[in-house]
Amino acid sequence: MRLAGYLVALGLLAAPAPAQELKWNYDKLAAKASDTVDVSLSGSLLRLATKFLSDDDKDEAKVKKLVGGLKGIYVKNFEFKKAGDYTPADLESFRAPLRGGGWERIVGVHSTEEGETVEVYINNAAKGIGGLAIIATEPKEVTLVNIVGPIDLDSLSELGGHFGIPEVEVEKKK
Amino acid sequence: MPERPVSTPAGMDFTGLVRQHQAMVFSIAWHVLRDRAVAEELAQDVFLSLHQHLATLESPGHALFWLRRVTSNRALDVLRRRQRHPMVSLENAPEPVALSPAGDPLLGTALRRLVGALPEKARAIVVLRYQEDLDPAEIAKILDIPVGTVKSQLQRALALLREKMSRTLGEIGL
Amino acid sequence: MNLDDELKSALRRHEPPPDFTARVLARVSAGPARTAPLAGLSSTLTRKSTRWVAAIAATLLLAAGALEYRQYEGERAKSQVLLAMRITASKLNKAQKKVQMLSHRSIS
Repeated sequence: MRLAGYLVALGLLAAPAPAQELKWNYDKLAAKASDTVDVSLSGSLLRLATKFLSDDDKDEAKVKKLVGGLKGIYVKNFEFKKAGDYTPADLESFRAPLRGGGWERIVGVHSTEEGETVEVYINNAAKGIGGLAIIATEPKEVTLVNIVGPIDLDSLSELGGHFGIPEVEVEKKK
Repeated sequence: MPERPVSTPAGMDFTGLVRQHQAMVFSIAWHVLRDRAVAEELAQDVFLSLHQHLATLESPGHALFWLRRVTSNRALDVLRRRQRHPMVSLENAPEPVALSPAGDPLLGTALRRLVGALPEKARAIVVLRYQEDLDPAEIAKILDIPVGTVKSQLQRALALLREKMSRTLGEIGL
Repeated sequence: MNLDDELKSALRRHEPPPDFTARVLARVSAGPARTAPLAGLSSTLTRKSTRWVAAIAATLLLAAGALEYRQYEGERAKSQVLLAMRITASKLNKAQKKVQMLSHRSIS
């Protein structure tokens, strides 16, 4: 064990990915999508991005604080030409790893009228949340989010009203 | 200080506009300029200008008109400034070679080349007519020229294109 | 051959490279265009410059280029973080909104 730790520290042995980092395979959805937005940031690139977030800009400073301790941010948004281009079966491989491994679904909402679903999962670590996963679907859109590391959901929802995100009209419980 | 992403009063968000219209802007630039790298550069510049003017746009339709207008006019500016490669008038343009009557890709390439040899304004008119499916009145507004000019230039350009193509392919039905 | 149809096909829209949006957002974040800080240096060197002076100039230009690229990479990564947070927050807010709607309905 000690030798493994030594080798990891030397960079000679890759540290295993934390359980909060989901090994999702996007190929099937990507093949069917007409448009894709892909954000994958981890390690040095994520640290570099954090350095470029301004402390002087109020909103960027909030994001800087939010992402400061994160190990990875993976966001994929797929758009489809028409409803039915992706099937519920296509999403099963994304839900399967969230049924264990410390993951817990905290929100699952479905709107029959709009055909929209949002599922929010957290991975509990020793001190608070260690990871976040979101699966959000609309008839012609699928969004998959995996954030690795401690994330403050309250601070994240406080971004509402900034960067063009609609603000949720709610009284926050203190 | 870095600029914050901007939303217009009409609820448009800049990133959404880029994603929605990037193919249109890039393609107008490419079909007019016939240079992919320059077209990409121009397309980026157009979106940077869009970002600066976002607050002045009243609706998604207004944004679309604005993008078509700015892209077309900037592409024409580039053409006019271009000194290194003198334009060949369509009358003097070489016949497309190695055409296969059944080979659509080659036919498409040949047509694009011939369109690229049209005089600047005629070229922009043909691109807006056939890429964007606009009528002469809409084209006239975008290029800020009389409708009559659009119609006559379009007619002449099509006649020239037909003549050039027919020499190689035989009779063309229209 | 129908010329109208052929023109529509030949002049159909094409997507720019996949990272086009990210590059636009990076340039928006970066602000007005900047020129390379040491771009003028090489033009002042004459043919009589010794080899090692030219080598130092080349190294400095490379370093400046690397700095420029790091700046570009950093701004690009920053835009991606902001984009990711925007998307994540909007989905969270959607879920939150629906939960509130449902709890208001069950109360009333």
